[in-house]
Amino acid sequence: MKLRRLTELSLLTSVALIIFIIEQRFPDIAPIPGVKLGLANIVTVYAVYRYHPGESAMMVTARLLLGAFFSNNVSALIYSAAGAYLCLIGMLGVRHIIPEKYLWLCSVIGAMLHNTGQIAAAVVMMHTTAVISYFPVLMVSGTIAGSFTGICTQFLVKHIDRTR
Amino acid sequence: MNKKLLAVMMIVSVIFTVSLILVILQMKAPDKRIAEVLQDGTVLYTIDLNSAENQTIRIDAKSGSYNIITIENGEIYISDAGCPDHICMKTGILKSENVPIVCLPNKLVIRFR
Repeated sequence: MKLRRLTELSLLTSVALIIFIIEQRFPDIAPIPGVKLGLANIVTVYAVYRYHPGESAMMVTARLLLGAFFSNNVSALIYSAAGAYLCLIGMLGVRHIIPEKYLWLCSVIGAMLHNTGQIAAAVVMMHTTAVISYFPVLMVSGTIAGSFTGICTQFLVKHIDRTR
Repeated sequence: MNKKLLAVMMIVSVIFTVSLILVILQMKAPDKRIAEVLQDGTVLYTIDLNSAENQTIRIDAKSGSYNIITIENGEIYISDAGCPDHICMKTGILKSENVPIVCLPNKLVIRFR
């Protein structure tokens, strides 16, 4: 891997990590596990559209592990990992279908899949299907949050492409 | 706009609409008054909220963390927890049949039966 590429990816990882940790300091929007803006997803969507799949996966992995250690919440790693990887796989899948003009749609799909993965992990971990009742709420919140982060990414992509 | 993109858009909007309808349906108040407390998928307590006395129940998790469940005037909620996020406490009183109180770190669920 070229040094420039590696540096860029490291920079993206640290930006995602900072966003992730700052967002944890925000007060909770709703008293339901999983309802949040997911601002760190901005960086993931950007990586999906501007880097190779493998590079995006490395970035997400680094962010997940470091995020869990820095926020002192390693027990939640299984939930965030299930969400993050399902989200990444889904976004890589639809990346070639969705042109950059509709980039926000990719982010919405990512957010929905992220919440789906988290619920699936919760069902497996807690040995109960009770958590599935959160699914509709998380789909609605995921669509709203995903649209927001997607629009942010769209601005970001335009701006970064211009300055490069 | 190509056909695949249109299909993706349709799927997303259908999921969104269906979920929104389900959320609205979930909001109706339950007629059930029997709550059950589950940890790791097994029922620990079954509580009839109509006849239960005011009390607090402490439940210890395997990890060493804990949850304090309070039953007060026929209402049930988590009043204290050793987990870092305290989402179970913020959920407040158990109101809906479809939305249980969940503590992910301690694998605890409180729901109407």
